[in-house]
Amino acid sequence: MAKSLMIVDDSATMRKIIMRTVRMSGLEFSRTEEAGNGNEALEKLNAEPVEIMLCDINMPEMSGSELVKKVRELPSCDDTKIVMVSTESSQEIIDDLLANGANGYITKPFTPEKFQEKLAPFMN
Amino acid sequence: MSVDQAVFDGVLLEAAKEVFETMIFMDIENASEPEQTIDELTLLGSITFTGTLEGCLSIFCGLPAAKAIATNMLGIDATDDISEEDICDAIGEVANMVMGSIKSRVQHGIEKLAVSIPSVVTGRQLESNLCDGENKITVTVNIEDEYTAQFSLLYRESEK
Ligand SMILES: [Mg+2]
Repeated sequence: MAKSLMIVDDSATMRKIIMRTVRMSGLEFSRTEEAGNGNEALEKLNAEPVEIMLCDINMPEMSGSELVKKVRELPSCDDTKIVMVSTESSQEIIDDLLANGANGYITKPFTPEKFQEKLAPFMN
Repeated sequence: MSVDQAVFDGVLLEAAKEVFETMIFMDIENASEPEQTIDELTLLGSITFTGTLEGCLSIFCGLPAAKAIATNMLGIDATDDISEEDICDAIGEVANMVMGSIKSRVQHGIEKLAVSIPSVVTGRQLESNLCDGENKITVTVNIEDEYTAQFSLLYRESEK
């Protein structure tokens, strides 16, 4: 069955690019949501959880790292797979995110192939 | 710790090329002879960083170039209406991605670098060197042989 997806990024341009790249990767989703900041993401997740969340790190107000911790506190999102999509490439930060509940990592700039590779394991 | 300026020479252009090729689908070339002088209404997108090094990276270009970049990034028709807000958002994200690409290329020596949220300003006769820095690297590029943009990286070693 097709999965549901949420894209969290403070840049509207980047959300559109991610959406287009996801489509180009050939992956299909039953429902796609967008959020421009952490609070909006939490609100939408509380209303209806998604199975896969793509999450930026560098965002004003609530960083992606904080958002991951908060999503992991929501029992309804226990099964949500969180894949970070960011320009951040420092191994220390990536390790920290993975230890705090993120499930994967894609660095910007990215290609459709990268999305296919990183998201395919969560599509079953 | 000393960060050799030579490390950044070339890296700035490579990073910009990577972002333009993979995310904007436009070719850029180092411009020994710029196609345009950037003196009309301009946009300046910058992102600052702190850590082992502190400074800022900026992209500076005219409004037509910024509009072409934004429409290409979004995959929409160049003749479509695009708001100034969308153009600024796109240019900010270009600065963010170029900075990210620089960071991943020079990980050694600058492991700890925290970047800001990008900011974009528009105006006339903007100066691209808004922040201080002892070292400045500037690369002027031609985009698709039609537009010109300038990237600059200003930095200094932190005193800590
Ligand atoms: Mg962001």
